[in-house]
Amino acid sequence: MKIKLIISIFFLFFTFFNSSISDELKLENKINKNLRCLICQGQSIYDSQSDFAESMKLVVKQKINSGMSEEEIYSFFKMQYGEWILYDPQFNTKNFALWLLPIVIFLVGGIIILAKFGVLKKR
Amino acid sequence: MFCLIISLIIFITSISSLNNEYFFLKKNLNELLFFKFFFAMLSFFSLIVLFINSEFSNETVLNNSHISKPLFYKISGTWGNHEGSLLLWLLILTFFAFFYFLKSKNRPTDERLLTIIFQELIILGFLFFLLKTSNPFNIIYPVPKEGLGLNPILQDPLLAIHPPVLYLGYVTTSIVFSSSLAGLIKGNINNLWAKDIKKWVFISWTFLTLGILLGSIWAYYELGWGGFWFWDPVENISLMPWLSLTALVHCVLVLEKRSILHSWTVILSIITFTLGICGTFLVRSGILNSVHTFANDPERGLYILFFLFFLIFLSVLIYFIYEDKLELNNKNLNFYSKETSIILNNWFVMYFLSVILIGTVYPIFLEVISNEKISVGPPFFNKLIIPFLIPFLIFMSVGPNLKWIKNDNFSNKIKLIIIFILSIVSSILVSKFFGNTTLNITILLVACFYLFFTTIKDFMKKNFKNYAQTISHFGFSLLVLSILMNSIFSKEITSNMRVGDEIKFTDKIIKLQKLENTAEANFLKLIAYFKIEEKNKTDLVLEPEIRIYDKPETITSEAAIKTDIFKDRFIVVNLVKENEYLNVRYQEKPFMVWIWISAILISLGGVINIFKKNEKPIL
Repeated sequence: MKIKLIISIFFLFFTFFNSSISDELKLENKINKNLRCLICQGQSIYDSQSDFAESMKLVVKQKINSGMSEEEIYSFFKMQYGEWILYDPQFNTKNFALWLLPIVIFLVGGIIILAKFGVLKKR
Repeated sequence: MFCLIISLIIFITSISSLNNEYFFLKKNLNELLFFKFFFAMLSFFSLIVLFINSEFSNETVLNNSHISKPLFYKISGTWGNHEGSLLLWLLILTFFAFFYFLKSKNRPTDERLLTIIFQELIILGFLFFLLKTSNPFNIIYPVPKEGLGLNPILQDPLLAIHPPVLYLGYVTTSIVFSSSLAGLIKGNINNLWAKDIKKWVFISWTFLTLGILLGSIWAYYELGWGGFWFWDPVENISLMPWLSLTALVHCVLVLEKRSILHSWTVILSIITFTLGICGTFLVRSGILNSVHTFANDPERGLYILFFLFFLIFLSVLIYFIYEDKLELNNKNLNFYSKETSIILNNWFVMYFLSVILIGTVYPIFLEVISNEKISVGPPFFNKLIIPFLIPFLIFMSVGPNLKWIKNDNFSNKIKLIIIFILSIVSSILVSKFFGNTTLNITILLVACFYLFFTTIKDFMKKNFKNYAQTISHFGFSLLVLSILMNSIFSKEITSNMRVGDEIKFTDKIIKLQKLENTAEANFLKLIAYFKIEEKNKTDLVLEPEIRIYDKPETITSEAAIKTDIFKDRFIVVNLVKENEYLNVRYQEKPFMVWIWISAILISLGGVINIFKKNEKPIL
């Protein structure tokens, strides 16, 4: 399961944009899509045109230009506005259930199905 | 005006008489159900008339309409608000109760009556909800001269039909729910029951699919983000019953053909309906933070929450009391059989459902428990769903090629392997041709192409009869394929422009030629004329708009989209405050139209199934 997770994370890294746009812009768009516009109703700052989102986009641009990595930018915003701003929830003590529960459910479902087959085989 | 309230009172009495005297009124039930439907229709049409005449003495009309609004939106505004949409919901509920009773003559009488009683319970619940917290016929005095207007983003032809279609889907699940509870009590859950309920499941599934599609298309061109699915809480909520219905669609087939999975079918029917109600609760209560939240009130939320718990409690209770009446059988399941692959399908679908459910609800719980707010957005869902799609797609292609009960000789084995190799080759070709893809995308592509080619192969098979299933599966492979292509190959540019400016984008030049102001009936619009020049191709003119509505005061952006077979060109402009620049976003989205086409294909499969004649079960 871990491997799958890692694969999928990698997968996401590469899914978003095509190479015809510069890497920097790609990164910028990706980060913008992952930040919630705090004054809108459920929009990322990428999708929003509010003043708040526009100024956030500028901040993201500056941070990228100053050489900060993606993770550093996220943690910067997290420090400023709390975890609410990140669309991609982090894997930590609060959120582990969020990430693991679906997978646990998947496994339990699998066990139930296997049990059904297993019980039938004994008879 | 007052006659409406009276009609509502008659409405209630007809229902309560129904509940109390159902034993005596067996014969008249038909007429009573029709009366109920008739009165619901009467009140609904009177509300429409009120909207058309702009009677602002009515509170609902006042809040959601105004005189200068076009007639079409005056009518659609009837269900573009909380009160009106609930009335519509009730109308459809009563209609289906009536329709079910007409169409279920071949079922045992007591089962039909029980179904109607459960149905009446649901109707009663919603009726009290309507009267208590959201009566559409509240009178206001003195009569205001002008209404407050309908939210402009809801003034759209697609959104006029989106709620009714979605409601048709939701409400039909209530029939499935009531009928399965009734069947449970009477111990009637068997392959014959499955045969009869199947139609309802397919009706519901088809409408829900179409409803979600309409909403998605609307979001694509109206919200101006150029996306079609945002993993927005409200979208998730509509997807959840769809997923459990999808599981039910498959599961009911197994029950019909093989007479297994009785309890699971009942559980799924209960889950589907409760998820629908749960969705209404979450949307109406305003707990969720979503773009769709346009009607919320804590009192309403509380009421639906109680109603929801009541229904869940009731159905769980009934389930445990009457569980022993379910046929238990230990038919041998062979691993290489159609039913096993359908069980696997259910397993994966339930997993997808749990991802979405947890992703949507977890932040609410976390906030209640620890007062911390987190957001769960697209990255979460993508990460947890995409990897599981790969085996899911492969099961989906192999499953239909297996036989019921047991597969002894693999006549198809060689063909399936050849197709697998073919899909590997084609996905490698796609990745090489476009470059810039990773191993993981290629693997997903292989799975997609595999389903794609297998379904095509199934079409070409001799004496082939299962069109419905193959069309839907083909549609699904096309859907995943186009979404994938779309997300990989989308290109876009954002820039601030003035009249006369031009920007270069790949091999194109985008020019902002002129701006034009015009006044429409209920809004002012600013049209921006863009010319897109491309070498060796005719120039393309796109005209996105900014609309300024006065009631309520809102600014919306209308995207200009040029659709052709291979890609959509999408341009949207926004006003940038304090200067005369326009914020322009130009996007090229490949295979966009195929996403819609494939969703239509998927639901087409459902339509075919509704009209298909029943086959004999293989027991």
